[in-house]
Formats: sequence, structure tokens, C-alpha cells
Amino acid sequence: MSEKSPADEVRAAIGGLLPRLRRFARVITRHVADADDLVQVTVEKALTRADQWRHGSRIDSWMFGIMKHAWIDEVRSRGRRGRVHAPEEAGATVGDNSAAARDIALSVQAAMARLPEEQRLAVALVLVEGLSYKDAAQALDVPIGTLTSRLARGREALQALLGDEGGVH
Amino acid sequence: MKYADETLMAYADGELDAATRAEIEAEIARDPGLARAVERHRALAARVRGAYAAELEEPMPARLASLADKPAAPVADLAARRAGRRIGAGRWQLPAWSALAASLMVGLFVATLVMRGPGAPYEDVDGVLVARGELDAALTNELASRPASAGVSIGVSFRDREGGYCRTFRLQQESPVAGLACRSGGDWQVRTLAESAGQDGEVRTASSMPLAVLQAVDATIDGEPLDATAEASARDAGWKSSD
Repeated sequence: MSEKSPADEVRAAIGGLLPRLRRFARVITRHVADADDLVQVTVEKALTRADQWRHGSRIDSWMFGIMKHAWIDEVRSRGRRGRVHAPEEAGATVGDNSAAARDIALSVQAAMARLPEEQRLAVALVLVEGLSYKDAAQALDVPIGTLTSRLARGREALQALLGDEGGVH
Repeated sequence: MKYADETLMAYADGELDAATRAEIEAEIARDPGLARAVERHRALAARVRGAYAAELEEPMPARLASLADKPAAPVADLAARRAGRRIGAGRWQLPAWSALAASLMVGLFVATLVMRGPGAPYEDVDGVLVARGELDAALTNELASRPASAGVSIGVSFRDREGGYCRTFRLQQESPVAGLACRSGGDWQVRTLAESAGQDGEVRTASSMPLAVLQAVDATIDGEPLDATAEASARDAGWKSSD
């Protein structure tokens, strides 16, 4: 009988989850380098507390939750040190101007960056990461009704920022 | 409207139970306004999802890719990590070779970092350190998505604030170094160079990037790193800045 320990399972899943963890970290931090740091801290925490992961539950939403808490800790300690980054202007990225698809993506990301954090995280978990309302609520540590209303308000704001079609605003 | 917008949203997201779903579907068939509202939710969802799809394809920095491989290490919090990264901030932002030399004197080993003579991966050109040999070849030709062919592996590629291209690299040699190089007039200028192993007692895997290099990227980057497609087309275009 060689049952894998929770730690083994978590460790085995992390490699495949990294791109999504980084993506969510960028939504949270709105800063590329901060996002990478946040991913690193999240993975390290997940590995040290792998025994807290409940077998059978989703590892991705569990790790998104760890990430959110790590970020809260970081923001608190930055506040104490009085050093808070201005968020990067997602819309100001130069990138490849010839690619219309990229321009649209940037304007969506720029609009996302303007949402209040609560709404931004709800939108990212459900619409970008494809979590169910239940899993997203669990990751954010809020009741499902709270998640739903944050999601609805976030979408409304995005709709207003983006308009109905195209990426021009 | 008979249904709250939140209910329509949940319907569009596939979050309703079968009974409510059937009820709404019947209603939608009768009410084009309702159908439009649902369609709007779906269109926005697809657009948001699409805007973030490419991020999954971006090359993963080696220091993150190797995280799950290393033995459980004591967790340093993000604040400590960033504080560590701030050490020497400013010094690393100066692009010139003089600043690099100054940094090197602060605890790094000049002799092993900067090899001289034929076959050396760098050359001092008018006070600027320029990539040569296999480092130059790798910076010019290799993609980050590819595993390192020889002694050089490429980390992340991005544009600096002047629109030029920069790339991080790691050089496997007796004492491994990592650095940041930026394209300038057909050369790769090495802006930052640091020892790649065992700084400050921090546990490092063979492939992680030193703090000094991360800091330099932080100070140089404009926006986001290139994704795999943009990286490939930049290479194919000879790393010429577009403006």
C-alpha cells in the first residue's frame, strides 16, 4: 500500500498550477515582479502546510486562498513600513501594437486593474480561473452570497468600463 | 424584469439548479430582453477569460518553475523577501559598467564572474560589458521556452522603457552567474551580473535568479514580460526595437 501523502499530492500538483497561480497573483498585485514573489511565497506556504489540504478538495482553490491571505499579510506589513507600490498601469504597456487581440486584452486588464480588490478577485476566480461560486467563495473565505454580489458588481463595473463590444474606450 | 440580474448572471455561469434553469430557459424563449441580458453576461465572461488566456503560455521563470522540487524550506515572508531585494536598489539600476564594477566589489567575486581572454562570454567595450561568444549567441537565438542547450539558459524577455529588448540569462560555469542583458546597436549589453548560488544563506536551487537580477528587471521592465509568441517574433525580427 503506497498511498500518497497530502504533501506528495500537493507537491505533484504545483508544477502544473504555476501558470494559473502566477496569473491570479498578477490580478491580485497588479505588478509583475510582486506577482512572482507572491507565487513563490504561496508555494512555499502550501508546501509547509500541505497537511492542511483536505484530500479530495481542489488544490487550486486551496492555493488561491493561501495566496490571498499571503497578500493580505504583505499589504499589512507594507502599510506598517509605509511603502506601498503604485499599481502598474496595465493599459500603458507598450507590447505589440499591431496585434489587435493584444490591445483588447490590455484594455480588459486595464479595466480589471481599476476594480476594487474584492471585486477583482471574485471576477478573476470565477471568470478567469473558472472556479465555481462555491469554490471561489471558499478560496476568498466569504459566504457564497457575498461572492455572488461582488462578482455581479465587478461585472457591472467592467461592462461600464469596456462598453458592449470591441476593446476601445 | 422578473429575475434579478444576479440570477441571470448565475444562469449564464451555469450555477443554477436544474429546476431554476429550466424556468429561466422557458422565460428566455419568450423574452428577448432576458435573452440579451444573459448573452451580455456570457460575452463579458468570454472576453475577460480571453484577455488572460495568453498569460498561461508565458515562460515560467526558473526560480518559480523549480519551487516544487526543492525540499521544504523555512518560509520567508514576502516582506522579508522584498526587503532583501531592496538591498542595493539604485546601485543595480545604473546601467553602466562602472556601476556594475561597483556592485561587484560589494561582496561578489570579480575574478570568477568576469572571465577575460578569448572564449570569455563578455567583453569590456568602452566601459560597457558586452555579451560575446556563447552568451551572445544564446541571447540572440534561444527562446526561454526551450531548455538550455549548452551553458546558457534564458529566463524572461521584456521591453524596457525605451522600447528596447532585454533578457535575463544564467550562465552555467564553475561558479554560476545570472544577469540581465539589453539589446543595444546589435550587441547585448550586460547591465547586471550576479552570483547565482548561495547568497545570504538563502536556499537556492541551481536555476533560481539572484535578487540583484530580479531587482534589475523590476527597475527596467515596461509592462509585462513577453509571452512565448512575442518572444519568438522579437527574435525573428532580430531584437530590433520598433521605435
